[in-house]
Amino acid sequence: MFDLLPHIVNGLTLGLLFALIALGFMLIVGVMEQINLAHGSLFALGAYVAVVLLGPQPPLPPGLFEWWVGQGLGMRYALTLLIAPMIVGLVGAVVELALRRTYGKDPLYGLLLTFGVAMVIEEAIRSIWGTRDYSLPTPTTIAGGFIAGDLIWSTYRFYAAAVAAGVILLTWLFIEKTPYGAVIKAGAHDSEMVRALGFDLATLRTGVFVLGTMLAAFAGIIMAPIWGIRPHMGVDAVVPAFLVIVLGGVGSFWGAVVAGLMVGLVVGLTGAYASEWSLLSMYLLLVAVVTVRSRGLFGKKSILEA
Amino acid sequence: MSEREVSRRRLLQGSATAAALAGVGSFFGPWHHNRAYAQSKPIKIGLTCDASGQYGNSGQDDLRGIRMAIAEANARGGVLGRKIEWITADTETTPATGTRIAERFVREEAAFLIGAVHSGVANAITQVAAKHGIIYLNTNSSAPSEAGENCSRVKFVWDGNGSNFSKAAVRNAVESIGKNWLLLTNDYVWGHSTSNATKALVEAAGGRIVDNLLVPQNTRDFTSYLLKVQQLKPDVVATAIGGDDIKALRTQVAQLKLDGKPAWINNQQDWPDIWGQPDTLFGVFGTTWYHKLALPGVPEFVAKWKAAADGGAIPVPGNVSYNGYMATRELLRAIERAGSTNNIKIIRQLEALRIPAEDRMQHFEAYMDPATHQLQQTIYLARRNVKPADPTDLYEILSWTRPQDVVDEAAAGKCKLVPHDQVPTVDA
Repeated sequence: MFDLLPHIVNGLTLGLLFALIALGFMLIVGVMEQINLAHGSLFALGAYVAVVLLGPQPPLPPGLFEWWVGQGLGMRYALTLLIAPMIVGLVGAVVELALRRTYGKDPLYGLLLTFGVAMVIEEAIRSIWGTRDYSLPTPTTIAGGFIAGDLIWSTYRFYAAAVAAGVILLTWLFIEKTPYGAVIKAGAHDSEMVRALGFDLATLRTGVFVLGTMLAAFAGIIMAPIWGIRPHMGVDAVVPAFLVIVLGGVGSFWGAVVAGLMVGLVVGLTGAYASEWSLLSMYLLLVAVVTVRSRGLFGKKSILEA
Repeated sequence: MSEREVSRRRLLQGSATAAALAGVGSFFGPWHHNRAYAQSKPIKIGLTCDASGQYGNSGQDDLRGIRMAIAEANARGGVLGRKIEWITADTETTPATGTRIAERFVREEAAFLIGAVHSGVANAITQVAAKHGIIYLNTNSSAPSEAGENCSRVKFVWDGNGSNFSKAAVRNAVESIGKNWLLLTNDYVWGHSTSNATKALVEAAGGRIVDNLLVPQNTRDFTSYLLKVQQLKPDVVATAIGGDDIKALRTQVAQLKLDGKPAWINNQQDWPDIWGQPDTLFGVFGTTWYHKLALPGVPEFVAKWKAAADGGAIPVPGNVSYNGYMATRELLRAIERAGSTNNIKIIRQLEALRIPAEDRMQHFEAYMDPATHQLQQTIYLARRNVKPADPTDLYEILSWTRPQDVVDEAAAGKCKLVPHDQVPTVDA
């Protein structure tokens, strides 16, 4: 059991990160019934924008530039966690404007559009930043490792898992406990009624898409020091994100979180004890679950069954 | 409703029949072609370089070197008085795409194929090249199997392979660092064949393999593997991890501060996998060339490459671009020496190839092994340079080993080359 414990802890931290990656994806699927295949590219874009902001020459106007580079890395990193998702969120708003024409039509249109957007963003990343790898500078307080038992653990990984848990909780509170969240949920169930009650449905949808995009970008920044930053890192993110929401049940918030933890545990444990199965294990888990429960763990009726 | 409309069922039946016929066609041949292109045509070469996938960066770096060699030849008036033309397409680090692109290039009358980093892609291209008799230069795939069980009369392998690098590193490491070794192996042909070679060498030197952890391709999180490394406490971890996977591994090893103990032997490190993240460069690793080797001709080559690359993503040539350049240059020279584009004549020229050290900008003469078609060349061991002269000076070269001392002896026994007269003849 003592041998197993580090791998369980590792699996759970990894699972929280998978859930974080899936969170924005889940929000847009669950609320807007749109599968956003650009999620991975927006995830990558978040990491690249963070690299620019934390790099030695951020493109800022004089005055602001001097103030920014004069700050310590810790302050700049904290501000980047807020600013970079906002910048990527603007891209999300543009995507949503294009996506509007597909609402109420065959879901294939939305799928194709977001797939096209994913390719455009990835190629834009290659054009702007090239194909080389980048690493994201992180403050020394969250870098390095610490010894627990006789094992060295990554400080950053625990920090990332804690942040992921915090963001998941905040998102849940926003959806469940605020009037805005209530309108978003109502819009998902009966958009015509929400419109009849005087809410601006277009603005609501834009808001949800932008929030989902910001969560994708945020996840990209958090994962960057672990995975590294390269143009097709988005593909590495969108596949587990899709898998997690299908496993958890499309539209289920806590389903996605539980599924993320399960995937993390399975990948972590197979990595340690049957390493050649570690990537395949998440797919096998999905097959096992959807075979006995086609809607996923906590799924409700959704567009996938329409 | 038009009578000509094809029903879905009919379409599926037609597709199935076509697929079956295609399968039968490739199984039963044709095995022998006799093809002659018009002499007035330029010589066309198909460059099978990945532009995406795990080795997308390396594939494009390979392409830079290949293009440079072709441009130099054209600037001299071409080969046999004929211009060299090239076509390229993204082989996507995917064997199936490699096959498709190679077939397309053959249809487009490419007389030679050059390029590959991933051994699965290289092997797929080899099958196409062998079927049509097209000479294929595997520039940068370093699986021992490429010059072993997957060798071919039409294929020439230009990179050092996993066995060569292991031979250069293992004996010394077993004696000086420790006997307990852990293998981290990318779960595909290059990873397996490289780790097998390392295992044999470790055991021959009196060492012991405590475990071999198979790492699926496209793994991004290595924490469970690294925890296992910590639990097993090996003296040495020998990795056969490539492409984007090794980048992720290096990031995480550095993050966990595991880069000091245990000792890491990382087989070959391709320059495109290093560039951009020098802080994560750990352990001892192999290479075939470095842009700061203190040898005549190196600075001039670097300057030429920089001018030709015209501000690409990587500012200096590394081993991948170097291999692409050298392979292409030697093919074009072999055509000149043969005085013909006849594939059999060129194959014989390449089989007898010897390249003086100064001409290759390496420490020792290189030679083509006629039994395996792998270029035997100087193997360098390096580690991270802690006192770089400039931002590109990432390596400290620790040793250079003669080609004769790192020969992969097992390859000749596994490689069965068909006789020359059984190769379909091609004349561009």
